[in-house]
Amino acid sequence: MKATLKESASLGLTLALFAAGACVALAVVYSITAPTIDGLEKKQTEESLAELFPQATSFQLMPETLVSADPAVRFTESYVAVTGPGERVGIAIKAFGPSYGGDASILVGVDAGNGIAGIKILTLKDTPGLGANATSPNYFVDRSSGTTWPMQFKGKSLSDAFEVKNDVVAITASTITSKALTRIVKAAGDAGYARLKAFAEGGK
Amino acid sequence: MKRLWNIFSRGIVVENPLLMLMIGLCSALAVTTSVQNGIGMGAAMTFVIFFAEVVISLFRKLIPNSARIPIFIIVIAAFTTMVDLVMKAYTPDLSKAMGVFIPLIVVNCIIMGRVEAFASKEKPLDAGVDALGMGVGYTWVLVGISAFRELLGNGTLAGIQIMPDAYVPILFFTLPPGGFLVFGLFISLNFWLKKVFPAAADAAKEAA
Repeated sequence: MKATLKESASLGLTLALFAAGACVALAVVYSITAPTIDGLEKKQTEESLAELFPQATSFQLMPETLVSADPAVRFTESYVAVTGPGERVGIAIKAFGPSYGGDASILVGVDAGNGIAGIKILTLKDTPGLGANATSPNYFVDRSSGTTWPMQFKGKSLSDAFEVKNDVVAITASTITSKALTRIVKAAGDAGYARLKAFAEGGK
Repeated sequence: MKRLWNIFSRGIVVENPLLMLMIGLCSALAVTTSVQNGIGMGAAMTFVIFFAEVVISLFRKLIPNSARIPIFIIVIAAFTTMVDLVMKAYTPDLSKAMGVFIPLIVVNCIIMGRVEAFASKEKPLDAGVDALGMGVGYTWVLVGISAFRELLGNGTLAGIQIMPDAYVPILFFTLPPGGFLVFGLFISLNFWLKKVFPAAADAAKEAA
């Protein structure tokens, strides 16, 4: 009995030593890469925000998280777009929702005039050549005007039906992706519009 | 020198991890929809298997037999997480395209298998050479399959349009069934390679 106790103690100790060594190595790599990873994410968000609201000069991170009326869609951070004179021109919401290949995230811009300012698909893991065409710069829903799939939402009124194959053009052979992404856009659009309305009524 | 060459070359055709040992297939089929993914996955996997085999071979006498599997997993997981962090920081697009398959290298049977069957018994130099052979064997198959699938399924190679505009991509090849078909073709290609170069195969057999 004594020998077994000693044995298991030494096993545990060896295991702990290996784990400690791995931890130290990982901590070193993490401390080197973490600032770059954070910076990249921040830069991507900033670039996307500027793309949605080119007229805005600054973006304020909203202190509260907006609540989605659609149970399948959830929001993380949202930003208020502000122009030079301090006028609110819109709101941008980072929204997550299920799509064909797992959760997709979209940055949805809503402008003060009751419409979608634009959308930017941040992550999408759907099938290459099918659903992934949603993010392809070479896949057009209208080839003559060079409109890509996300671009069709630009300026779209929130009173529209947001129905795929009706007022939203579907991606060929990818109805599931089209519907899932449209649902996220609609949920974020509604929430953003409601918040903008509250801003207008409540003054500041 | 010849002995090391034999260890190295084994992984490429005769004991190719994907086409002969047929392990680690799920991630190999899932990521091979574009050439960049194939190269990225191959490089990531080669890095992890190389350092995992060398480290485990270095410590092979200190690893108690009854706790070896958890220790292997700690070592492999540490290197996999490093690759994941480095890719997130310096090749963010690639990292996004590969998604969950980079963290899943931890449970890749090729690494587990080589560590258990080879590195835990052999000297660090041999283990490193074995890992490089396996890594190269894994990578060439991945790049080959992904080039085939991307060209026929999307009309591009590494994102560059190759096929003329009139070519209608055969979507079948980017979907999982197409992956299986191409993979099957590569298995037969490998059998043919083995037949064409029997001398290499015999030499490797002797070394093993």
